[in-house]
Amino acid sequence: MPFDTSANEKHYSGFLRIALTVAACAATTALATPLLGYLDLANIVMLFLLTVLIVAVKLGRNAAILASVISVLCFDIFFVPPRFSLAVSNIQYLITFAVMLVTALTTTHFTSILRQRAQEAVQREQQTQALYQLAKQLAGALTVEQVVEITNRFVHSQLSASSVVLLPSADRKSLDVACTQANLPIETHLVHVSFESGKFVRSDEVRGMGYASLYFPLKAPMRIRGVLAVAFDEQPGEPSDESLSLLDALASLIAVALERLHYVDVAQDSEVKMLTERLRSSILSALSHDLRTPLTAMVGLADSLFLVKPALPPTALETAQALHEQAERLAALVGNLLDMARLNAGEVTLRREWQPLEEVVGASIKLLGNALAEHPVKVMLDNELPLLEFDAVLIERVLCNLLENAAKYAPAQTPIELHAKQTDSVVEVAVLDQGPGFPAHRRDELFNMFVRGQSESGKPGTGLGLAICKAIVEAHGGTIAADNRPEGGAQVCFTLPVGNPPSIEEEPA
Amino acid sequence: MTTPAKVLIVEDEKQIRRFVRVAVEEEGCQVAEAETMAQGLLEAGARQPDLLILDLGLPDGNGIDLIRDLRGWSDTPILILSARSQEHDKIDALDAGADDYLTKPFSVGELRARVRALLRRRSRSPEGASPVIEFGEVIADFSRRRVTRNGAEVHLTPIEYRLLTVLVGHPGKVLTQRNLLREIWGPSYVESSHYLRVYVGHLRQKLEIDPTQPKHFLTETGVGYRFLP
Repeated sequence: MPFDTSANEKHYSGFLRIALTVAACAATTALATPLLGYLDLANIVMLFLLTVLIVAVKLGRNAAILASVISVLCFDIFFVPPRFSLAVSNIQYLITFAVMLVTALTTTHFTSILRQRAQEAVQREQQTQALYQLAKQLAGALTVEQVVEITNRFVHSQLSASSVVLLPSADRKSLDVACTQANLPIETHLVHVSFESGKFVRSDEVRGMGYASLYFPLKAPMRIRGVLAVAFDEQPGEPSDESLSLLDALASLIAVALERLHYVDVAQDSEVKMLTERLRSSILSALSHDLRTPLTAMVGLADSLFLVKPALPPTALETAQALHEQAERLAALVGNLLDMARLNAGEVTLRREWQPLEEVVGASIKLLGNALAEHPVKVMLDNELPLLEFDAVLIERVLCNLLENAAKYAPAQTPIELHAKQTDSVVEVAVLDQGPGFPAHRRDELFNMFVRGQSESGKPGTGLGLAICKAIVEAHGGTIAADNRPEGGAQVCFTLPVGNPPSIEEEPA
Repeated sequence: MTTPAKVLIVEDEKQIRRFVRVAVEEEGCQVAEAETMAQGLLEAGARQPDLLILDLGLPDGNGIDLIRDLRGWSDTPILILSARSQEHDKIDALDAGADDYLTKPFSVGELRARVRALLRRRSRSPEGASPVIEFGEVIADFSRRRVTRNGAEVHLTPIEYRLLTVLVGHPGKVLTQRNLLREIWGPSYVESSHYLRVYVGHLRQKLEIDPTQPKHFLTETGVGYRFLP
C-alpha cells in the first residue's frame, strides 16, 4: 500500500497480531480468575470488554473481532458455571454472551472507523506537508535540471515509484527526456497523446512490460510545458486514487515551475539582446561621430581656402577643390561602411510609414543634385500606385545608390529611367541606364559585399552600394535583381510588398 | 543693413568652428564662439545674437536642451549641425524650435546659403509677411484666399489650403511631420503621417511644374517638409 504509513500497524505482522490478541485474552483470564470470588460475573464481562477495546485500538479491526470471540469463549469456559466447560447451567448466561459479543463487535466497529479516520487524517497531513515541501523546493529551483531532480526524488520517496519528465524541443514537434540518469522506458505515442490533448493518459497494458504507465500533461497557465511519466516500482494492483491525485497536484506544480523558468530565460535573453543592441549602436554612433568630425573639418577647411583674401593663385584653388572632393568621397565611403555595419549587425529597426513612392523618388533625385547633372532622369511611375509602407530614409538610400551607379557607368547625356508599376502584391521599381551593362559572369555576385561589376575600372567605389541596397530591400520583405537590357544598358529592379494601405478619410468638400 | 548681424557658433570642434567662422564672416556677420552648452547659453543671453549655429553633439549636454532653454525667451533663428546617424535628434531639435539643419559633412557654400536664408527671414519679419506670395507659376493671395497658376484659379480643398498657408508661412524652415500634423489635423493625428504625405502630394500636383521633382514643396526625408519660394 503506497499510503500504509500507520506506525501502529506497520510494527505488527498478521501472525504476531493473532498471538498478541490471544495473549491479551489469556492475560485477562488469568488476572480475573483470582478475583472470581470477589467480583460479580458482570464486572468480569467488563474486564473482557475493556480488553477488546484495547485490542481494537492497538491491533485493528480483525484482531478485535478475534478478541471478541475469544473473550466470550474464555468467559464461558473459565468463569460461567460449570467452569472448564462450554456447557452453561443457567440459560440466562446465553443472553450475557450475546450482549457481550454484540457490544464487543460494536465497539470494535466504531473504534476501527475512528482509527481509520485518524490514519487518513495523518496521511493527508503528510501528503500536504510533502507537497508543501515540494512547492518550496520547486519555487527555489533555478534550472530545469533541478526541477527534474526534485520531481524524481519526490515521486520516489512519496510513492516509491520512478518518473521521468519529458520536455518539448524548441519547435515543440518532439519531446525528449529531460536530464536524468533514470532509465525508465516510456511509450512515446502516449507521451504525445498526453502532450497534444492536455489530458492524463494511462495504459495498464504497458505496465506489465516495465513501461511507464501514467502520463500527466504539465499544464501551466500559458501552455503545456511537457509530460510527467510515472511507473510504480513494485505494485501489481491499480494505483490508488490518492496517488493519482497527488501526482496530478505534482504535475501542476512542476508545470508552474517550468513556466517560471521559461519566462526567466525569456527576460534574461531580451535583456542581453537589448544590452548588445545598445552597445552596438553606441559604438557605431561614436565611430560615426569620430570619423565624420575630421571629415567635416577637412571639407569645410578646403572650402574656406576659397575665401582667403587676397585670393590664392588658381593652382592652389584647384588643389583646395580636389581636397574638398576627396574628403567628400571619403565621407561617402565612411557612410557606406557604417551603414553596412549597421545593416549587417542585423535587426535594423525600420521606421516604416505609409507613403507614396513618388515622394522619395523626388527626394532622391534632389539629394543627388550634381551627380546627376550629366544625365536627364526620366521618371515613369504608374498613376495608380498604392501607398507603400517603408522606411523613407533607407529607401531613399537604395534609390540614390542605384541612380548614382547608373550615372557613374553610363556615358554622359544618356538618359536614366526610373520606372515603377504594380504587379500583383508587389510594386516593382526599376532603374535603367544605357551604359555598358553588367558583365554576364559576375551578375550573381554583384550584391555581395566588396564586389564590383568591373573590378579594374577607374571609377571610384567600394562595391558596397548594391550590397546595402540588397540588405535594405530584404529588410522590407522585397527582392532585388540586376539584369542587362536587351537594347543595351543595365537594369536593377527591386520590389516592395503592397500590404494593406490605411484609408484616408474623405475631406468634406 | 547698417549694423552687421550677430552670429553665435556653439561647436566643440575647433577646426569646424574655424571654417564656420570664416564662412559666416564672409557673409558680413559679427561672430562669437562658444565651446560648450553652458557657455553657449551664457553667450546667447549676453550677446542676443541674430542667428545661432549649434552642434547637437556637445560634450556637456544635449543641444536640444539648449534650444528649449533659448526658446523660452528668444525666437532667434537656430541652425543645427548634426551627424547623419542622429536622425531622431534632428527631429527632436526641430520640434523643440530649431529652424533648419545641415548634415555633416557640409560645404561652405551650403552653409552660407542657409545662413543667408535665415538672416533674410529675420530682417523681413517685423513688417509681417506680405499677403501675396509668388513662387514658380503660382500667385497665392492669402488676403483673398485665392491661388492662381499662370493666371488660372486653382481650386484647393480646405485642408490643402491650410497646409499651403502653414508651409508658405515659414519659408525655408524645416517643418517636422509631427508639427504639421498637429497644426493641420490636430493632436490625435500626429502618428498618421500618410495623411500629410498624401496632401503634400496633392499640393505638388496642383502647384508644381513637375510634381515628381518638386522645386518648392521639398521633402526632408525622414524629417518633414520645407517650402522654398
